[in-house]
Amino acid sequence: MVSTPDAARRLHPGTIALRIVVKAPQNMAGLVALSAAVSRGGLLMMAGAGALVLAVTALVTWVRWRSFTYRIADGELVIADGVLHRNRRSIPFERIQDVSIDQKLLARLFGLARVRIETGGGEADEASLDSVSLAEAARLRAVLRGQDAPVEMVAQATPTRDVIFAMDTRRVLTMGLFGFSLVWIGVLFAAINQLGDLVGLDWKGWWNWAGIAGREAWALATPLLVLFAAVAALAIGAVSGVARTFFVEHGFRLEREGGRLRRVRGLTTRTEVVVSLRRIQLALIERGLVSGRLGWSALRLQTLGGSDDAGGRQQVAPFARDDEVTRVLSAAGFPAFDPLPLRPVAFGHVVRSALLRGGLPLIGVAAVSWFVPLASLALPLVAIPVVAALLARRRHRYAIVGDTLQVMRGVLSKQAWIVPLAHVQSVSVTRSPLQRLLGIATVRVDTAGAKGVGRPDISDLAVEDAYPLARALLSGRTGPERDMCG
Amino acid sequence: MLAPLDRRFVNVLRWRGAVQSLAVLAVAGVGELILADRGLPNGLAVVPALAIALWLTMVAPARKFVHWGFALDERELQVAHGWLTRVHTIVPIGRVQHIDLSQGPIERACGVATVVLHTAGTDHSRVAVPGLSRDAAEGVRDRIRAAIGASPW
Repeated sequence: MVSTPDAARRLHPGTIALRIVVKAPQNMAGLVALSAAVSRGGLLMMAGAGALVLAVTALVTWVRWRSFTYRIADGELVIADGVLHRNRRSIPFERIQDVSIDQKLLARLFGLARVRIETGGGEADEASLDSVSLAEAARLRAVLRGQDAPVEMVAQATPTRDVIFAMDTRRVLTMGLFGFSLVWIGVLFAAINQLGDLVGLDWKGWWNWAGIAGREAWALATPLLVLFAAVAALAIGAVSGVARTFFVEHGFRLEREGGRLRRVRGLTTRTEVVVSLRRIQLALIERGLVSGRLGWSALRLQTLGGSDDAGGRQQVAPFARDDEVTRVLSAAGFPAFDPLPLRPVAFGHVVRSALLRGGLPLIGVAAVSWFVPLASLALPLVAIPVVAALLARRRHRYAIVGDTLQVMRGVLSKQAWIVPLAHVQSVSVTRSPLQRLLGIATVRVDTAGAKGVGRPDISDLAVEDAYPLARALLSGRTGPERDMCG
Repeated sequence: MLAPLDRRFVNVLRWRGAVQSLAVLAVAGVGELILADRGLPNGLAVVPALAIALWLTMVAPARKFVHWGFALDERELQVAHGWLTRVHTIVPIGRVQHIDLSQGPIERACGVATVVLHTAGTDHSRVAVPGLSRDAAEGVRDRIRAAIGASPW
């Protein structure tokens, strides 16, 4: 059962070369400074200085590589490092939450991989082996996960892998089009502003010389320039969205391997995330404003700790059709999301949303138009949140389907949750003064693994329904119970 | 139906109100000095502050107390509180990760204690039941502990 203790190992020797290359830019800066100091010495001197820096770097890197060892002992991983200040960390296998492998671009060239061992104790407690060979990384992962696979059997010992979801290049590029980023527009305008100042400064003399005619030409050119800038900004926004998505999502693949889901993605930095099916707390399906209308949605699984994501929600199908989402869900042991049996919340939701969303803008516009009468023209804009509120009730639905709670919400962009009742940690029924007036209540559903926004809360359902629902959520039974508690 | 908390919890709420009142009165006192400096009539700051203090110590505690309630059976613990916004929380006992029993200085003087349940959840991972007599609080803790032992999650 427990792996036989093996001898202390070092990282792959290629690590030395890798580290020297990675550190080269820093050393180059030092080299430039050095060469500036000895610039009188000519080419030979500079080459000598370069060689010296390289030799020192290599020596330091080698000593550090030599002092770093790791060992799989009886039921624990022992990592020792430090040249003068020796440091020894032992991580019991039971504490290991997750083992992830990633390969940066350079590491890929060297055929190396970084193994990160997550213990769920925060950043400081994490251990990383940077870098080992790919085969060794696979062996470590197998051993640390308690599969106890001998080195030579790693290839055969891995359970069958089924690809559940994958995105080809075309899909990734399509996804990128919707990843349009407005940030770049801001950046571009700031740049144009800077550039404009520069140009203005340079051309000042010329403008004076050209006189009034030139100034008029400039005034004519300005709207054109603004138009051009807007088009350029949009283009850059689109291109940057595509490029960023392409780098992050390239070669997206989700596989099922025994009781785990494994996600691999990335162009230059290949990342691998493994999610244990046991630790999945809920599924969240998101539909964007535009891409959702075109039938694309994203699926995230909320997992309990030990994941790379800070939020604890892992993207497992970022851009998928409904049938693909259903396939991934069933691989994760979740039923499909079915909006048909879901029932809408109480009518009070419309009133409350309209008051909360439309009330504040109304007061704002009214206050401003008191001073600036022209501002009352903005009054029709208040209708937008009110219309959204009218639709909100139709889109906010819930039901207990089988042994899961299914909730949907959102007018423009939509979210849908599938929460197995077994993973509901606690339930609260809250009623604000306004909700008491309207006879409605909010049922808050607390789950483990992720905080804050995107909770499967059910807002504004009738009080008579709220308590039976809370009961049903916790008892794991469908249908309301009679022994209602007020 | 939920059971009310120990009557002595009203005193805890009163004392807490009194401490808050002291803070309010201190601020009002400083404000009063500044206002008096500017030749404004006396009591402009202190009178509202006294009203708030009276509210916090005499009126609010009893009203808050009325809305507190809790119930514990074999399966779950329920806590309700809130006077304006009412919150009713249900925690299945099987979900409790660990239990704290805490007693602040005021609570100790009044002879009550708070039981705090921790679940694995993230947003309401801490569910507190204040205002139980020391014995009752220990009883609740022991019952939950026994239930956790019986049903490992």
